[in-house]
Amino acid sequence: MKSNSKSRFLPGLIAVITLGALGLLVMKATSAREPYTKEELADQEKALLAVVDHGRDLWHGSNPSMSSNGLACGNCHPDAAASNPHTFPKFQADLGRVIPLREMINWCITVPQGGKALDVNGDDMIAMEAYAFYLYRGKQISPGLATEQTSPVVVKSGVGYPKKGSGVGYDK
Amino acid sequence: MAAQGGSPNRGGEMEDFKNLSRRDFVTISGRAGLTTLVATALGINLGLVRVVTGAAPGKKMTPFRFAILTDAHLFSIEGHKFDAFLAQAVDNVNNMKPRPDFVVYCGDIAQNGRDDQLQKGVKILSKLAMPIHYIPGEHDWYLDLGEAWRGHFGKPTWSFDHKGVHFIGMNSILVRDFWTPAGMTPKQRMDTMEMLESPIAGPWGVREEQLDWLKKDVKGLGTEAPVVVFTHSPLWDYYPRWNFQTEDAPEVREILGKFERVMSFHGHVHQTVYNKIGNLSSVGTLSTSWPWPYPDVKLAYPDMRMNRSDPALVEDGDGTQHIDLETDFQGTMHYDPFGDMLKPAIKDGFKI
Repeated sequence: MKSNSKSRFLPGLIAVITLGALGLLVMKATSAREPYTKEELADQEKALLAVVDHGRDLWHGSNPSMSSNGLACGNCHPDAAASNPHTFPKFQADLGRVIPLREMINWCITVPQGGKALDVNGDDMIAMEAYAFYLYRGKQISPGLATEQTSPVVVKSGVGYPKKGSGVGYDK
Repeated sequence: MAAQGGSPNRGGEMEDFKNLSRRDFVTISGRAGLTTLVATALGINLGLVRVVTGAAPGKKMTPFRFAILTDAHLFSIEGHKFDAFLAQAVDNVNNMKPRPDFVVYCGDIAQNGRDDQLQKGVKILSKLAMPIHYIPGEHDWYLDLGEAWRGHFGKPTWSFDHKGVHFIGMNSILVRDFWTPAGMTPKQRMDTMEMLESPIAGPWGVREEQLDWLKKDVKGLGTEAPVVVFTHSPLWDYYPRWNFQTEDAPEVREILGKFERVMSFHGHVHQTVYNKIGNLSSVGTLSTSWPWPYPDVKLAYPDMRMNRSDPALVEDGDGTQHIDLETDFQGTMHYDPFGDMLKPAIKDGFKI
């Protein structure tokens, strides 16, 4: 019985091993590249911070179409506080459905600020989200759970962002 | 010039300024001497500082009520929603029973420091049925370094006695001169100060001249005297990045340290908040514009936090407040929000 059993399972075993080896080869061919160099990482961070910086400017009123009453996002959300980006998507009671952060941003632009909504896929919206998420870096992602006001990272007084006068919470 | 109902020094020298035009006032201010000129060069224009004292406050006092309005942040736009919020606040105070003896305005009438915004505030606040006393906020001040504000409201540093209590108002939003080296225009200076989290201006303070004034102001008062002090920013380090602080608050507290009890009320934070340091109870106030979020700071009295405001309710998080002072200087703080947003610990008032 033992001999028969071995001969019955051997072809299957060989097939599994072969497929596994092939799989490893394919994975190697398509897996992530070698780690980025310091220079590449610096370039990536620079690109990100440029977008964050644009978001900071928008957050503080650089695009007049986003407000008809003088209010900017920063009026209620200094350092993006209480914007709660890490809690989206979540149910928004007055809209009656689950929405992503960008829809909440457009709600704030159009209702409290009386402005014109941003293109949800446009560069400005990406920058707005980048700013909010950057200020909440390291916070635990908790979709749907913002029943309490949340806070961004704590920034020391007077610690600024590389761009003069930005005031973004960049605490390196 | 001043809003109907009076100025910070009823019956005192401030009466002299009531009938002056703004031009006259500026002329008089120009005679204030080298001290003021130096202060102006440093961005510290205090205006005319005169100590006015009434009957010496004693331990026993007559119970009364006063109210605080603050942070209207009026825009120049006609019919702006914040105009209506401030008008609502005025109605609420006028309809209180009993009515407050007076109101203190804790700064930031204007959003961009423009005279038309201050004028709008004067017009709305003139409907108050009782006297009002003013201190400035940074939004009132940094377009013209307080010139228009002083033209409307007189000096930002004052004191008066009322029913046995000594009241003090000070300008706590004075900063170093960051604009001259940078070659900024007045508007750029104002824009810089408008941004709560801007690191450029640095910390606010009352500065040396007002500290000297304060020492003189309280010198003749006994330790049992009831003292109440108003500033735009808190007299403790709450969250310096947003200037939820006053840099020389320790010096202020030291000068006031001789009193058995001091009550401190401040604007700027747009929220309910309470702290107690030594003999000083510090109470934050609701604005009539928008609520600021709470910074990520562990508060000594977390029960005093208000509920998270609902952005779908346009007035949520805003309101007024009043304080009932009883004999022996016992006080009860009442927040009077436009909406239902108070937690149980502060819903029916709390002792300060």
